Order: sequence, then C-alpha cells, then structure tokens
Amino acid sequence: MQDKESVFNGLVRQYSEQLYWHVRGIVGSHEDADDILQEVFIKAWNSLDGFRGDADLFTWLWRIATNESISHLRKARVRAALSFSRLDSEAARVSDPSPYFDGDAAMRSLRKAIAALPDKQRAVFTMRYWEELSYEQISEITNTSVGALKASYHFAYEKVKQFLTDTD
Amino acid sequence: MRKQVPYSVPDGYFDSLNSRLSSIPQQRARVNFLPYLAMAASFLILLAVGNFILNRTASSYQADDSEIIEYLIESGTTLAQVENIMDY
Repeated sequence: MQDKESVFNGLVRQYSEQLYWHVRGIVGSHEDADDILQEVFIKAWNSLDGFRGDADLFTWLWRIATNESISHLRKARVRAALSFSRLDSEAARVSDPSPYFDGDAAMRSLRKAIAALPDKQRAVFTMRYWEELSYEQISEITNTSVGALKASYHFAYEKVKQFLTDTD
Repeated sequence: MRKQVPYSVPDGYFDSLNSRLSSIPQQRARVNFLPYLAMAASFLILLAVGNFILNRTASSYQADDSEIIEYLIESGTTLAQVENIMDY
C-alpha cells in the first residue's frame, strides 16, 4: 500500500504538464495558470484521503482544475467590475503580445473569441476544441449531461465563428 | 493537448514545476499558528476595550460615613450591627 505522499508525487509526475495546458487553455495567461495549478494540487493533496475512487484520477483532477479555473475567471470579472475596467480588456489581457504567446493574428483573434465566452462555456470549449476530450469525459468532469454539453459547445462554436467574422 | 496551442512557457518551467508541486506535502505539514494568534489577540483586545469602558462608566463617587449609615439603616440593618461595622 503506497503512502499518501508517494501517491501524490505520482500524480504530479503523471499529470502536472497535461493539467497545466488544460488550465492554460481556459485562463490564457501563463502566470494565472501557474497559480491555479498550485491551488489544484494543494486541493488534491487535501482531498486525497477522501478520494473514494468513484471517478478515475484523470476525471477527479480535471474536475478540480476546471472548477478552480472557472472560479478564477469569475473573480477576475468581479475585480474588473470593481475597478470599472471593461470586461473585454480581460479578453485582451489573455491574448496580448506576451512572450508566452506564439500564435499569429488569426490565432490571437481565436483566443480573444474564446476569452469572450461565458466562463463555463469557455471551459467546455477548451476541453472539446483544444484537448479533444469526448463529451462523456467532459460530462463526468463538469457533472453536466452530454446533451447539455453538445448544445453548449454548439452555441460556443457559433459565437466564436460570429466573433471572428465581425472582427475580420 | 491534441491541437497545436499557440502558447509557450518559460525555459525550464516544467523541469522545476514537478519539484515545486512535490513540496506541497511538506508545506502543508507545517502547523499554521496564525489563526490561533489572531484569536488570542482578538480576545485580549476585547478584554482591554471592555475594561476601559467599564472604568469610564463606573462612578468615582465616594460616599461619606453618614450616607453609608443612612443606607444601612434603610436597608434594614440594626443599629447594633451598624455600630459593629463602624467600629470595625
């Protein structure tokens, strides 16, 4: 029987990089993704004793990471509202010409379009579009029905397409 | 991630990431005394404020002997008991 620390270190080795890209895909900024990743693994450590194995480790970790990312986005919106800054400046911040963005102008527009989506829809779009997770996997992670996810993704896709058309 | 994402990371980021995350169990093991200190400090402040308010509102009036005797008699104390008290 492995002790808790060995199990935890195994999770870190196996999932940290993949989890980073998952979070980065939702929040956009490297600094934010790094902060959130720390929080995710702290929560994972704190909850490891209570993990009953009713979901697999991937789903469990992705659920924590998705919830933390969405929570971060919501807090950013509140901060933006309190500082009277426009919400689309948040979209610009996550896809600005930082040293950690490699895309061309088209990719920048796509990132802005995704950043303009509602928080949960952004997470679903990220998991479906960038990570190519199945609807069944996303359903387990977000505790949302497959039907609702398909509808959500369809609307998100249409919004992104419209955004790209409008900004052309 | 399956698709090519347009992001990069600082050099060596993932090399150091694992060691940083692996130190979380040791960080969590250190007992955090701050909440207990905060509680103790709050209690002391409440005590000090309460004492201050009590002293400010308490009367500093000093009754003289005749007022004390009058009070004792009105409250049913016998003359003999009053004399005993005064001799004491």
